[in-house]
Amino acid sequence: MSEEQSKGIMAIDELQAIVQRCQILEEKHFRAEDFNLFQVAGQKCLEEGYAAQLLEVIQNEKNKVIVKNMGWNLVCPLVRCILSYQQEDDKRERCLKILDQLVQLSNPKELLLGLLEQIEQTSGEQTSETIMLLLQPLQTVILKLHGKKSYSVGLSLSTILNQLSLLPVPYTKDQIQEDKLHLCQCCNAVVDFTKPFVDEVVKNMKTSESGEKELKEELLKFCLKSLKYPLLTAQLDQLEDIEEHPLRHFAGEIIGILLDIGEFIPAVFSHGSHNQNWDNSEFLDIDRNDSVDSLACLSYLVFVQYIGIDCFPMIFSPSYLLQCNMLHVEVLLKRTEESILAKGLDLFENCLLRLDNNSLLHQYLEFRNFITASQDLVKVMTLCPIEDLRKKSLNVLQLYIDKFDTEGKYTLFRCLLKTSNHAGVEGYVVQNIKNQIDLSLKRGQDNQWFTGHRLISLLDEVFCLPEGAETDLLQSSDRIMAALNLLRYLVIKDNEHDNQTGVWTILTKVTQNFLKPLHTGLNMSKAHYEAEIKNKKENRQESHTSNTVCSVTVSGEKMPNMSAEMQLQVLHSALFTFDLIESVLARVEELIEVKIKAVTDENIGVK
Amino acid sequence: MTTDEATKSEGDAQTAALVEQGEDITPNQDRGVLKIVKRKGNEDASPMIGDKVYVHYKGKLANGKKFDSSRDRNEPFIFSLGKGQVIKAWDIGVATMKKGEICHLLCKPEYAYGSAGSTPKIPSNATLFFEIELLDFKGEDLFEDGGIIRRIKKKGEGYSNPNEGATVEIHLEGFYGDRKFDSRDVKFVVGEGEDHDIPIGIDKALEKMQRGEHCILYLGPRYGFGEAGKPKFGIEANAELAYEVTLKRFEKAKESWEMDTKEKLEQAAIVKEKGTVYFKEGKYMQAVIQYGKIVSWLEMEYGLSERESKASESFLLAAFLNLAMCYLKLREYTKAVECCDKALGLDQDNEKGLYRRGEARLLMNEFELAKCDFQRVLEVNPQNKAAKSQITVCQKKTKEHNERDRRIYANMFKKFAERDAKEEASRNPGEKDVEKATSEKRLKTPMSEGKEPEEHV
Repeated sequence: MSEEQSKGIMAIDELQAIVQRCQILEEKHFRAEDFNLFQVAGQKCLEEGYAAQLLEVIQNEKNKVIVKNMGWNLVCPLVRCILSYQQEDDKRERCLKILDQLVQLSNPKELLLGLLEQIEQTSGEQTSETIMLLLQPLQTVILKLHGKKSYSVGLSLSTILNQLSLLPVPYTKDQIQEDKLHLCQCCNAVVDFTKPFVDEVVKNMKTSESGEKELKEELLKFCLKSLKYPLLTAQLDQLEDIEEHPLRHFAGEIIGILLDIGEFIPAVFSHGSHNQNWDNSEFLDIDRNDSVDSLACLSYLVFVQYIGIDCFPMIFSPSYLLQCNMLHVEVLLKRTEESILAKGLDLFENCLLRLDNNSLLHQYLEFRNFITASQDLVKVMTLCPIEDLRKKSLNVLQLYIDKFDTEGKYTLFRCLLKTSNHAGVEGYVVQNIKNQIDLSLKRGQDNQWFTGHRLISLLDEVFCLPEGAETDLLQSSDRIMAALNLLRYLVIKDNEHDNQTGVWTILTKVTQNFLKPLHTGLNMSKAHYEAEIKNKKENRQESHTSNTVCSVTVSGEKMPNMSAEMQLQVLHSALFTFDLIESVLARVEELIEVKIKAVTDENIGVK
Repeated sequence: MTTDEATKSEGDAQTAALVEQGEDITPNQDRGVLKIVKRKGNEDASPMIGDKVYVHYKGKLANGKKFDSSRDRNEPFIFSLGKGQVIKAWDIGVATMKKGEICHLLCKPEYAYGSAGSTPKIPSNATLFFEIELLDFKGEDLFEDGGIIRRIKKKGEGYSNPNEGATVEIHLEGFYGDRKFDSRDVKFVVGEGEDHDIPIGIDKALEKMQRGEHCILYLGPRYGFGEAGKPKFGIEANAELAYEVTLKRFEKAKESWEMDTKEKLEQAAIVKEKGTVYFKEGKYMQAVIQYGKIVSWLEMEYGLSERESKASESFLLAAFLNLAMCYLKLREYTKAVECCDKALGLDQDNEKGLYRRGEARLLMNEFELAKCDFQRVLEVNPQNKAAKSQITVCQKKTKEHNERDRRIYANMFKKFAERDAKEEASRNPGEKDVEKATSEKRLKTPMSEGKEPEEHV
């Protein structure tokens, strides 16, 4: 007999010994050391590969009481063994059988804790596998529990989700298809786990038993948690060539649960004062701050991905939907993760597309978050490192502008000019102002906001140099060019007779506060840069070992020094910009002069 | 004929009927919303703006395809009427309905989802057909406590409301039963209406009104003139009142974030004074508003200089102590305890804070905790006679409480014993069994039986 075998047989003997001793005892007489001996012996049997014998012991009718009391101690070694064997291994099958027996025979309360402990201890690559292995036993055990079920369901679900949330969410199509850590698969398995409990809540709702309110709340918590992780960070667009996107499927299941337990519509409308419409439901005893992310994700799923939209009332006005979703958009745009920002932009865009152009009443801007939304968009388009999102953000801003009525547009422009602090954005807004003036002049009606005294006060914001001649013209070139273009347009389109836009009224002021300092500034800047170029050129001739004037650091890393050649290039391009500004400026001044002259000539003629 | 065709032809017939006989209910008379009453309502009342309305409905596209139905969801659809929550056709249409009425509406896209449509169900420029049943409606319950019910006669403009401290100009008419007791134009500061004989409910409601709004407010006694009544207007204690109010214009008070620390401290002194005046007159709700301002301005104020933070703390302490006192008077003991806790957070040995918390707890029947508070008072100031006598009260109450319990149980035992003895006697009396039955009963019967025996004592 080999040593191995004898060790194994010893383990079985030990197990038999302890079992026989306990068979004659009543359960209250079991001692702590018996539990210990049983566990050690059982564990040894498993490790030595004597699962079949262990199974026999457990199945033995005489040992029923022992298994009932001590069985849960074997969960830990069992799980370890099962995970170590290959899928088709007979030993694995036997171990699974033992687990199954334990579930049938052991005290459910203790077994529940034993199972959850295993889930809690798992980590990394084994997380999903362990959870999927234990879901079925866990469900059976909880169903065996009488009363207090909701607590156990809640505890199980939160333990599982806490473990899963440590795993990265697959994002690209390949990652989703591969599902390396089985996260997607596991999420869907967890949904199956909840099914009997959902059914129970549904059944109780029909008989209007309020007893299971707690169970419903636990399920609601689970749904909200799932919306936050993994769904909020997941990529949920339909994918080509994948029949069923597993996380989309999961999202559908989660919304299905919300629908079944009657919390879907209340959840979509749970923000702020809007939920008072749904007072017939006892939604959200849970912390609202904790669920803002989840609810934003839910809105995204419904309105952008159309998951569950069939069950959503199709009677709300588009502006009300925008108003409700604005809170979600705000939450999403405040984040920096690509997937979440993208969701925020998609949701915002979707709500805007439901509106006809010019139909959004300016009064909505009295809601604080209608203003901050525009600022959030500016933040994304100027600071986000991902180009697609920057572009999208600009598109959404344009859409947002388009939807407002004239007064709304006016207010929004004014606000953006004051708050954006970015010449590119300001230039863009000025361009928009020009388009609105153009429309006003063409339509000849509804023009009280982009003509006359109201326009003048808006133009005050446009035709100004914040620091006079000392303004950094290079930095503000986008804005200055747009302003000059607008001025040129106004002078051409609007003649002094009509003066519909009021530009002729403010011309002196514009010349004084904008054109003149611009001239001075241009001269100064040009002189400065020319001198700099000259300097550079001389330096280059003098020494090739150029000592750098300054260094640039990007996120802690020092950028390579610019070569003298590159420096010169930058300086030249600056000069080019100044030339451009100067030429437009000259053209504008010329136009003004001609027009004024024409008028004075006319006046002289009249006289 | 297939079912599709059947629904289509039914839809066609309904649409045709609406086009031929439907009443144009749009204000512009542009035939944008046409209506036919299918079943007359059972009451004459129609919902008003802002009312919470309960409807069942079914919506169909022009091709007869159903796109939505509340009956499929098995629950009525609820919304606030006239607030732009639903498509225009509905705000117009439901307002014309009577309770119990069923009607058909035909809505042009301009009154529905317009050229944009509503993805994925409503295509661009769709004319929609609805069948609506008005199940019920009720006035808006402003604070969800039934204390102020609002019904709007004319909607205001925009979405901004007066805040606490805003200056408002209103027209009001007050009714007590059928009698009109007040009618005037008045300008005042929200939260200080009492200075003009305006009950607190109006102040509270104004914070939810918009410029130009004209509404009726039904005030419960708590939001009216309360227990004191208003002899000046001939109003008795605990009267329910109705007011018609028009908010003509208002100017908002600065929000906390619009004020700098210096301004907040200056204002704090002023509102503290105001609060004290109200308190002395017994206007506790009004006093709460004033003291509350101090908390909202200063509780979260950071970056103060040493001198400022000292001043701020003393204002806050006074505010919390006074709020606690107000809540004691208003019988909101939990809030009183909260305020005391905050006051004690600033000054852990504050005599008044400890005393008032003790009072609140005593009134909440938490005798032991109350006693602890009063004992702490004595530690801080051994001369505090009131605290001494409160401790005696606590002890007495504890004792009374215990005694009452004892009596209840004693009576219970006796009564059960008697009853059980009788029952057992009627069967086969055995002393041992009686005893056992009694003790079992005792375990199973909690306090619920307790009240009955008390009367025997």
